[in-house]
Amino acid sequence: MERFLAGIKKYFTDFGEAVAKGNIWTKLSLVIIGMGYIGAGQVIKGILFSIVQFAIFFFIGKYCWPYMLKLNTLGTVQREYTLNPLTFEQTVNKFDNSLLILLYGIVGIIAIFAFILLYISNMKAVYRVQKMKDNHERINSFAQDVKSLVNGKFYITLLTIPSIGVILINIIPILFMACIAFTNYDDKHMPPDKLFTWVGFRNFKTLFTSNNVSSFGYVFGRVLLWTIIWAVLATITCFIGGLLLAMLINHKDTRLKKMWRSLFVVTIGIPQFVTLLLVSKMFADHGIANTFCKDVGILSLFKTLHLLPKSATFIPFLSKPGWAHVSIILINIWVGVPYLMLTTTGILLNIPNDQLESAKIDGATNFQIFRKITMPYILFVMGPSLVTSVISNINNFNVIYLLTNTYTTTNMKFANANGKEVDLLITWLFSLTNNYNNFKMASVIGIITFVICATLTLLTYTRMISGDKEEVFQ
Amino acid sequence: MKAKKRIGFILRHALLAILAFIWLIPIFWLVATSFSASDGLRYSRFFPEKWSLRQYHRLFFEPDTVANYPAWFKNSMIIGVFCCIISSLFVLMVSYAFSCMRFKSRKSLMSFSLILGMFPGVLSMIAIYFVMKMLGLTNSKLGLIIVYTGASGLGFLICKGFFDTIPASLRESAKLEGASEFTVFTRIVIPLSKPMIVYTVINAFLAPWMDFVMAKLMIRSRSPKDWTVAIGLFNILQKTLIGQYFAVFCAGGVIVAIPISILFVIMQKFYVEGITGGAVKG
Repeated sequence: MERFLAGIKKYFTDFGEAVAKGNIWTKLSLVIIGMGYIGAGQVIKGILFSIVQFAIFFFIGKYCWPYMLKLNTLGTVQREYTLNPLTFEQTVNKFDNSLLILLYGIVGIIAIFAFILLYISNMKAVYRVQKMKDNHERINSFAQDVKSLVNGKFYITLLTIPSIGVILINIIPILFMACIAFTNYDDKHMPPDKLFTWVGFRNFKTLFTSNNVSSFGYVFGRVLLWTIIWAVLATITCFIGGLLLAMLINHKDTRLKKMWRSLFVVTIGIPQFVTLLLVSKMFADHGIANTFCKDVGILSLFKTLHLLPKSATFIPFLSKPGWAHVSIILINIWVGVPYLMLTTTGILLNIPNDQLESAKIDGATNFQIFRKITMPYILFVMGPSLVTSVISNINNFNVIYLLTNTYTTTNMKFANANGKEVDLLITWLFSLTNNYNNFKMASVIGIITFVICATLTLLTYTRMISGDKEEVFQ
Repeated sequence: MKAKKRIGFILRHALLAILAFIWLIPIFWLVATSFSASDGLRYSRFFPEKWSLRQYHRLFFEPDTVANYPAWFKNSMIIGVFCCIISSLFVLMVSYAFSCMRFKSRKSLMSFSLILGMFPGVLSMIAIYFVMKMLGLTNSKLGLIIVYTGASGLGFLICKGFFDTIPASLRESAKLEGASEFTVFTRIVIPLSKPMIVYTVINAFLAPWMDFVMAKLMIRSRSPKDWTVAIGLFNILQKTLIGQYFAVFCAGGVIVAIPISILFVIMQKFYVEGITGGAVKG
């Protein structure tokens, strides 16, 4: 932490030094950032940098500034149509679009931030060039500068385009969505016809309270509980199942290992939207699985066990709470075990053989070897990835959505909040936006999901970054 | 002892066979239904009453106002190929920069991208939809390609792990001979990482084929010509259509599944033989 603060301090003192000690050309760079290079003889570079500066200014001034001015209110003029009585033509007033204001406002802020970073590092670079010139060192020509982009500074070439992609597709949308959580953007405030505005933490309050008007608090609790149960159970069942299957296939007596493995891999090879939709039809209320259960007598068995009422004519595999929860977890075992089988196979094959051999010589039984060597090794290697897979199960959209897209809830409280008993936070979020245009609540749920995932990741963070041994092999 | 071993041997294989059978039931059902003569969902029989190739004929040669499989397949193929090229390039570039080069903000950039990866995809999806709508790119292949490839640079972890295992001495000796970083990247690191590249390329190609959510969000068009395979197959299973199109859905599923399953069977080698193993073994 201290090093971090020291780094920040140095960052700004370097800048200050460049401003204070710079010559006239360097000082001119404070206004037009390319001037310093021109003063040192790097004319083309100087012109290019200045062009970039003006391009950024032009972009911000032309596209973002008018919107940024309205960021504090997100617009005040609502769209209105007026009928011109003479020509019978409808004219629209000059209205504000809250969505555009927010979006371009964020883009503008990012552009300004990026420019400040460029500006500061440019000042330092200009000062460095000035010092080199004063010491009569050789200064790179433009051609040499370009050449260094495929050599010493190759990383700049490599990272620029991917970073722009990440900013566009990742950072801007995340910031945008996070802002929406603090507005009242929903179906009653849809631009361009209506305006939305900032409401502070009101949406967070809605999410945590339940009363006669809104049942978000109740639904949020239930959905969160199911999300956690689901993520933990799905991870554990698939892990154990995959491990057992991998050990079964990799046992030294098993013949045709490759064939067995491929049989299971085929099920991953079919896209989930095909298999899951198919399975959801198989387990529908009058689907083939129900016919089978009736014929074999499972339906009447469930009735005698009082799991189903006497009048039931089918097993509600995917249409009743409770039943659906169990079925989803069971079907997920079907989906997930082959994946886990593949990864654990890789790890099983990597277990140092000498340990197994010496254990055997010492007379350990197979079970002891499994408990004392294989299991600790696998847990050691897979520990962090178990946490990651809990996270990816929290965000497991496909399984839940594709299996339960025909599920309708009978619980009024759920219906009020547009949720379902089988929803995860993530599918609830999706249907809130996709079907009900309730962006404000969806965005709050998204932030909560992020906080949960981030906390979990922090648990493994140390192992993933600090503990990385990237130079061991090099 | 021998008899006991033999029983164990038989039990083990019997268990495997049963498990494999359970895992393959839906696949059998998919294939069987795709060869059915009747169009709808079967409720009582596992295998169809009459077999025929009718559904495949409908799939390929009788596109109608609801199902236009050739167009869907073409759309998905175009998106898949472009995504494959662009994302593989991005991943390789980012991995090389992070693994083989040393620069000032390297560690902080890497941590930052890990944190970015923690945001639930669905959260940014809605915003991506707004951005794309403003750019007028919803309902278009270009829009989907941008969405799929834009953030692909973040998926560098496995590939970087592989590059980390390439001996630095190789790169250094090349540099002593006067090679630039660009030459080292294209002439030394890339040729040495063929298995990793196959893995990256297949993964990048598969991602848009397997994706459902993003396509569902981005493609709002009512005209079947604009749909991808995922959207098309999802849409023909709506309540009103399922009676006529369920068997077509199965045939379509089989056709997508064949190339993807083959790619996966090729890929399992990489999983098993330690790309992931190597990455975590460190």
